[in-house]
Amino acid sequence: MRFSVRELVYIAIFGAIWGALELTLGSYLHVIFPPLADTFLVGLIMAFLGVIVALVGRHFVPRTGSVFLIGIITAILKMISIGGVQVGPLVAILAESLLMELGLWVARKPRRWGFVLAGALAIAWNFFHKFIMMYILYGKGIYDVYVGMVKQGVSLLRIDASYALAIIVILFLIRILAGALAGWIGWDLGRVVRGRLAR
Amino acid sequence: MAVLRDSRLLPAAPRVLFSAYGYLLFFVGTVATAILAREAEVVFVLLATIVFAGLFSGKALTLLFRWQIWLFVLPTLALSPLLIGDRAFSLWGLMLSQEGFWAGLWMVTRALSIALAAAVFALTVSVAQMAQLFEGMRLKGLGFALGVATNVLPTIQETMETSYHAMRLRGGFRSRRLHTLKLLLVTVIAGSLRRGDDIVWAAEARAFDPDRPLGQPVAVTRADAALAAYMGALALVLLIV
Repeated sequence: MRFSVRELVYIAIFGAIWGALELTLGSYLHVIFPPLADTFLVGLIMAFLGVIVALVGRHFVPRTGSVFLIGIITAILKMISIGGVQVGPLVAILAESLLMELGLWVARKPRRWGFVLAGALAIAWNFFHKFIMMYILYGKGIYDVYVGMVKQGVSLLRIDASYALAIIVILFLIRILAGALAGWIGWDLGRVVRGRLAR
Repeated sequence: MAVLRDSRLLPAAPRVLFSAYGYLLFFVGTVATAILAREAEVVFVLLATIVFAGLFSGKALTLLFRWQIWLFVLPTLALSPLLIGDRAFSLWGLMLSQEGFWAGLWMVTRALSIALAAAVFALTVSVAQMAQLFEGMRLKGLGFALGVATNVLPTIQETMETSYHAMRLRGGFRSRRLHTLKLLLVTVIAGSLRRGDDIVWAAEARAFDPDRPLGQPVAVTRADAALAAYMGALALVLLIV
């Protein structure tokens, strides 16, 4: 991968914008919703914004690998931040940027549907992220904890266990839709920014 | 010049035991062994991580005093005897499971080992070394991009806050929040890219070449090789036993 000076500076800027969002809004949201209390909202909001920024970046550096580089820079900025090292967000940022790159590679040329696919793929990771990270960090015993919690919740609320499965499917679909929306917005926003700079 | 070339007269370079590759290997190795270790075996992984951190990155041990870590640890320890296994004994009126208690303890030990290994890597390897590490993986120009990113980050954060407050004071987030968020992003991105042009001109004026290597490449040390052999052997033993 070879980039010109201008492309590298743009990659740096988009990485810094995503990083700034993670360091300010991300830290703020993690304090409001501690990780154990919230498994849905914070990751979704941060991934949504990150995907928009990275995909706008692709408008300005339309070359394979640019989004992944933006992700690497964001991850390193997150790693060296005052808040300390958190393995979870680092893995999420890198995985999301890789999946965006995959979606954009499928589309070949910059196209709206490519951006939508890239966004949907990236935020879909968000669904599996918690399970994968929990497996790595805690081992397979964590699944017993989750299953136990679901069983207790089902018996407490006196609902059918199949509803729990339906809720999980809905949560996955919400992420896909949010990702597609982020891709759609990223495509539009890239054009708006270009227009603003051309003035 | 002949005098200056005599290495004995030059100031001694600080001795490096482990290179950035060594610390990366330590992190990856700890994750692998923590996953492979079964039940009580994970205690040895944590002990080894603490010893390594104590010897080579004392600052990383402060991680164990952070409240965020305990926010993970304590609920897991408290919930697992209630949710895992058969609840066979009673404590303060609560039916608990012994199996659940041990499972929770091993989970927490594994999580602490991985978090500590990540802290060792992040606190010991500098940004410049990380950039060199990536450049060694054929990601040319990443070091330069990373330098630019760390420099512009405070300005971008400030722009973001100023623009957010300006929009909020004008009632921007009361209605059409998504539209206002879009405007905020456009303002921040466009402003940052304009600033980026100045950086491009400055770099080009100094004939900067992104293909030129960023300092000396990271060299693998003997200690790295020894650590690789140790980690590999440990993972193999855990896999076989």
